[in-house]
Amino acid sequence: MTEQQTAVATPPKPRALNGYDRLMRRLDGRRIRRVCALTWLWFIVLAIYAPILVVIASSFDPGEDVAGMRAFLVFPPRGFSLEWYWSIHPRLWQSLWVSVSMASISCAFGLLLGVPAALGLIRGNFRGKIVLGTLFRAPLQMPFIVIGVAFLQAYYAIGNIFGIQIVATFTGLVIGHVFVATPYVVGAVGVQLQRFNPAMEEAALIHGASRWSTFRRITVPIIMPGIYAGGLYAFLVSFADVTISLFLSGPNATPFPVMVLFSIQEDFEPTIPAMATLVFLGSLIILLFIQRLVGLNVLLRGGGSNA
Amino acid sequence: MLIFPQVVFLRSSFFEDVGLGLLGDAFSFANYVIAFSDPYYTDALKLNLMLSTTVVFLTLMVSFPVAYTIARMTPKWAMIILAAIIVSAFVSVAIKILGIIILFGGDGAVVKTLKAFGIIGDGFKVIGTMPGVIVGLTHLGISFMVLMLFSVIQTVPRSFEEAAEIHGAVRWRVYWRVIIPLSLPGLVSTSLLLFNIIMGAFVSALVLGGGKILTFPVLIQQSLLVHVEYGMSATLSSMLLMFVLVINLVSVFLVTRIRAARLAVT
Repeated sequence: MTEQQTAVATPPKPRALNGYDRLMRRLDGRRIRRVCALTWLWFIVLAIYAPILVVIASSFDPGEDVAGMRAFLVFPPRGFSLEWYWSIHPRLWQSLWVSVSMASISCAFGLLLGVPAALGLIRGNFRGKIVLGTLFRAPLQMPFIVIGVAFLQAYYAIGNIFGIQIVATFTGLVIGHVFVATPYVVGAVGVQLQRFNPAMEEAALIHGASRWSTFRRITVPIIMPGIYAGGLYAFLVSFADVTISLFLSGPNATPFPVMVLFSIQEDFEPTIPAMATLVFLGSLIILLFIQRLVGLNVLLRGGGSNA
Repeated sequence: MLIFPQVVFLRSSFFEDVGLGLLGDAFSFANYVIAFSDPYYTDALKLNLMLSTTVVFLTLMVSFPVAYTIARMTPKWAMIILAAIIVSAFVSVAIKILGIIILFGGDGAVVKTLKAFGIIGDGFKVIGTMPGVIVGLTHLGISFMVLMLFSVIQTVPRSFEEAAEIHGAVRWRVYWRVIIPLSLPGLVSTSLLLFNIIMGAFVSALVLGGGKILTFPVLIQQSLLVHVEYGMSATLSSMLLMFVLVINLVSVFLVTRIRAARLAVT
């Protein structure tokens, strides 16, 4: 009886179904694979977020009072308290301000330099175009530590030759970051420009639009997603960077990540997890805002990294 | 502005250090000779190569299934997961390292659990050892690798897999003969890109290695900021830079070769 039913439902089987076959049919390969793949996926997403979640969790840890000091950071937290949020060290607020202003200025200069560069590189037709294009892409390939060393030595050289001191100043920090931020803008805007047909600009010109209004009405709207993506990446890369900042920052201009690094290596500042949590929430809110404004696929277009 | 710093440090790599941060007067290759012969530096380079290879291999193993699963999900979910990964990629390395230290430190949850199950002994340490550096770098590599591989695997149409299955290929055969060959150029170039990133990764190697794991970038930082040898640090930096450029060229070469080979076959 059962044999007949299965024969109708599925291609004919050479032998009768036993218990093992039935089990195998229920757990067919596709379903097992699916469950395994999804489990692995969520495990990895969790693993990616684990260090961040641990830092957030430990910001609520009341801490053991050992002679007025917070003893160790532990996970899972031993209790819940918001105490650290009220006592964030003023130097951390100061370093956050350095980070935010540094990233904003780097992003602004990155856009100012990168957008015209992309327009020139894609639309222009001149000698040395390829060489210049490679030069603009080069910082993405250089290890950040090499950039840090190169800029620090260049600053020493400038100090020796011209007598201008930019070692360990905010200016020096920003110049180094503009160097890495610009290629992201060039890349993102360039991709956008390559996608669209230059005939559209020509069509506007033929129909009597002036050069300026063609630029404003046709070119700008087309490259706008690239500007958003490039600008966002420029800001975030500068904001999150440790390596370059480590070489170029000084006691008066220490960005937040460098502060965290110093604190890990030397004496630990217990309010850092609280500050890190605030920073993470802040960037989450900004990203959500950008998502509402232009959509998240903007983020997928840059494709950068910051190891 | 783009070129000046490079010229300055390449130039200073050819002058000997005479102490106190001063450079000698004579143009020489002395620094390069030292860097290529002194085991202190060559060992660091070997260590770095081994470390990068291990990390890239581990990252590939971990990330490929993840990227594949995301690429075959509905676009909405794929978007959400990718966005989550991107957001995490922009949290500063410093903060992630802090988290890794809390998790893997002597009192950390991971080490305690492993000890409770008797998997590791009492003397086992993660932070300040090679496994610690590998854990940290792999963690950094995964989000990068997943994002890059996602866009690679996405270009392999699902219908190819189905065609292979209809023709009787079992699952692992579909992977080996369809998905991996078709995504090979992307796999190779992404792996080499990650290799470069890990070669230059500095902060994790410094902090998670506890200053004891001397990779090339750590040596660069020490020679510049601790020993104040501008010449030597510039030499080491330019070696690292050359290495990275060579890897890039190899990557371009390999990818064009693979593409050309495929064109020749089809």
